[in-house]
Amino acid sequence: MPKFDKRAGDILVWALLLSAPFWLPTVGSYVELGTRVVIYALAAMALNFLLGYTGVLSFGHAAYFGLGAYGTALTMKYVYPSTPVGMLAGIVLGTVAAALIGPMIARLRGVYFAMCTIAFGQVFYFIAFQWFSLTGGDDGVSAWHRAPLDFGFATLDILNNNKAFYYFVVAIFALCAAAMAFLLRSPFGRTLLAIRENERRARFLGIPVDWHIWMSWVVSCFFVSVAGTLFALMNDFVDPRALRWDQSGNFVIMAVLGGMRSFWGPLIGSAIFLVLQDYISSETENWMSFIGLFFVLVVLFFPRGVLGIIRRKAAS
Amino acid sequence: MTQLVLFNVFNGLIIGAFYALMALGLSLILNLSGVINFAHGGFLAMGGYLAYSLIPYVGFWGALLVSPILVAFIGIVIERVLIRRLYGRDPLYSLLLTFGLAFMIEDGTRFIWGAQSLPYQIPSWLSQPLSYQYFFLTGYRVFMVLLVTAAVGGLFLILNYTRLGIRIRAGTLDLETVGVLGVNVRVLRNLNFGLGIYLAGLAGVLASGMLGLQPNLGDNLIMPSFIAIIVGGLGSLPGTLVGGILIGVVSGVTTVFLPSASEAVMYVMMAAVLIVRPRGLFGEEGRF
Amino acid sequence: MSLLQVQNVSKHFGSLIAVNNVSMNVEAGELRAIIGPNGAGKTTFFNLITGFFSPTSGRIVFDGHDISNLLPARRVWLGMARTFQVTEVFPELSVRENLRISVEVASGLRLRAWLSHTDDDKIRSRVSELIDMGSLGGKADRQVGELSHGDQRATEIMMALALNPRLLLLDEPTAGMGDQETYDITQLISRLHKNGKLTIVLIEHDMRVVFHLADRIMVLDQGKFLAEGTPPEIAANKAVQTAYLGQAA
Repeated sequence: MPKFDKRAGDILVWALLLSAPFWLPTVGSYVELGTRVVIYALAAMALNFLLGYTGVLSFGHAAYFGLGAYGTALTMKYVYPSTPVGMLAGIVLGTVAAALIGPMIARLRGVYFAMCTIAFGQVFYFIAFQWFSLTGGDDGVSAWHRAPLDFGFATLDILNNNKAFYYFVVAIFALCAAAMAFLLRSPFGRTLLAIRENERRARFLGIPVDWHIWMSWVVSCFFVSVAGTLFALMNDFVDPRALRWDQSGNFVIMAVLGGMRSFWGPLIGSAIFLVLQDYISSETENWMSFIGLFFVLVVLFFPRGVLGIIRRKAAS
Repeated sequence: MTQLVLFNVFNGLIIGAFYALMALGLSLILNLSGVINFAHGGFLAMGGYLAYSLIPYVGFWGALLVSPILVAFIGIVIERVLIRRLYGRDPLYSLLLTFGLAFMIEDGTRFIWGAQSLPYQIPSWLSQPLSYQYFFLTGYRVFMVLLVTAAVGGLFLILNYTRLGIRIRAGTLDLETVGVLGVNVRVLRNLNFGLGIYLAGLAGVLASGMLGLQPNLGDNLIMPSFIAIIVGGLGSLPGTLVGGILIGVVSGVTTVFLPSASEAVMYVMMAAVLIVRPRGLFGEEGRF
Repeated sequence: MSLLQVQNVSKHFGSLIAVNNVSMNVEAGELRAIIGPNGAGKTTFFNLITGFFSPTSGRIVFDGHDISNLLPARRVWLGMARTFQVTEVFPELSVRENLRISVEVASGLRLRAWLSHTDDDKIRSRVSELIDMGSLGGKADRQVGELSHGDQRATEIMMALALNPRLLLLDEPTAGMGDQETYDITQLISRLHKNGKLTIVLIEHDMRVVFHLADRIMVLDQGKFLAEGTPPEIAANKAVQTAYLGQAA
């Protein structure tokens, strides 16, 4: 894609994101949906770091998303009701877990890798479910809420003001997106592309492939746990469903739907998917079937995703 | 104490047999076609629910016979129409597809049969304990072990003594050559898929008798199947069998000493295998 | 001491003996060709040298180090680079990007999250240098996967060169090429050998290429060492003729 179009695309995205609370109501939507889209977009983009850019099939990302969420919720409920502290706890929990699990799977590839990520994802779901005394089991962690941010000279009331919370989320998203973009454009990022394109050649250039996959994994899980902390804050609640296999599937479908090979693809995928899910679940009880059908249709007819199709058209 | 241990070991064997039955179906499909059938749990549930609906017409034994065949047939159709298109592509897509199918099947069963648990009637003579000393040896449990043994035995016979079975085994090792030798690979994959789903359906009917029916019946059993394959070894059917039984028994024994850890211990086994011998107990080198 | 010493190396695959007790010494600056009829075990031999797998028996010593069981990436770091029979590049990236990755890794920058201007400039100029050396000028920004076979091979060779290797191993570099492309690649290899004073070992079937480029030739047949010598010596060798042409020769 020509440089100019990329710039224009970036500007368009930020313009839409920054002005969302103002135009969302006019199209019959609401700010909370925008917040949700941005949070899921962050998760899907984090996943895409691994999936689209390193070529690694992770289907268990909900685990680290959920760990981020639970870390935040439990910290704010039982330890110290401060948003930054809660977020930090969640991020540390998710990232450390990922760093420890990484070495066990970094040697694996393809469907086997995917199987193991699913299985490990399920471990945490199972723990959240069973460890009733800590996590409240199926009932989740409730009776807590996000705390306003006190900057000393001003307070951002993200608790009561939906718009303020939205901008808070967008700010975090911006930081994370910038960091990911930065990494992807660096020499390290290029080694990940190399691994995706041709692992054998990467190995025979002297790249320690397993190590780099582990690093990409940790980076990806770091950002997905950030998304998890925001998720907990948004709902003032977390339950095991945040960790379930279907949540992992959602992240993947968002990345695929928007276009795995482009940076903003997952954001677009998140928007389309959540709007669709929102609409369908308000129309019918059996929204799960339709979501499943949606998965099937995307895989069969839109494997390259929205941005992939646009790129194709632009190239021809 | 010994009674307790025996009870739990036997229980573990039964559960392990289940895991093995389901994992074998999953493994068959994975080995030949490289597809992780995430909808496997859904097919299992389907097996149970269809049997439930069939009982009033054909009775317990009729349902046991017919339901897995029906489910296998549905599986064959799904493979033909949907999954077949994705074989040449990145495994990502077939996994996403089966994810979507899992959603649809789970919700579909909820839609047709409702979300509450349904009781599954087994013939009363089967639910009697066979001995008062070993009270846990109910007829049904023994029946299940026998049936699973028969199914696994049948699978073994098919794979070693029928043309289809031999072709499946050859295809698992080298599908390209098998195709070049004149075997219709598409049909082979299709039938193999059906065979795998048959096992899932059968496991479903048996599970319903023991656990009752609910829409997420498959959910709980699919993870242990994954672990059975990982522990037993990728690419190896005997490995999957051993893996399933092993995790069942270990889980059962753990229940005696640390009940809350009985499910967690399966994941510990998985982690141990991945650290020490990533290809699994009987797995082939280079399968991944 | 020779740069590369392969000492009595064998490779068994179950009961199949692909390489049977073969030895080879390559001096620094030499261009050695390995030839032999199909199935002679040439590529397996290469794979042993480059670390694709370990020998069943025997040793491989490179630049004084025993590398017999070292991983491929480690051998790259010791100064060995290779190309493959089927070109292995990064197909959806451009030539420039392919080379850039190679240069960055070779410069020890593979873990860097950012580059200073100076580093960036150095890398760019090195990449341009490689592009010119490989005569890839007009096509540098096209996807490698879309280029002709010859250009893909040239890209692969330049990627290997980007690693500043002491030893370059080329597996059938002209495989599947027409006359013009074969000529171009042969010229490229010749240039690299003379200008860089590189040590090169290559597997080839095209005898024109072999006799044009090689300082010494080694012949393998059915996994066993058959002969070694200068091109004239090999051309005159009866056993080699028999192996290639059969008893009727």
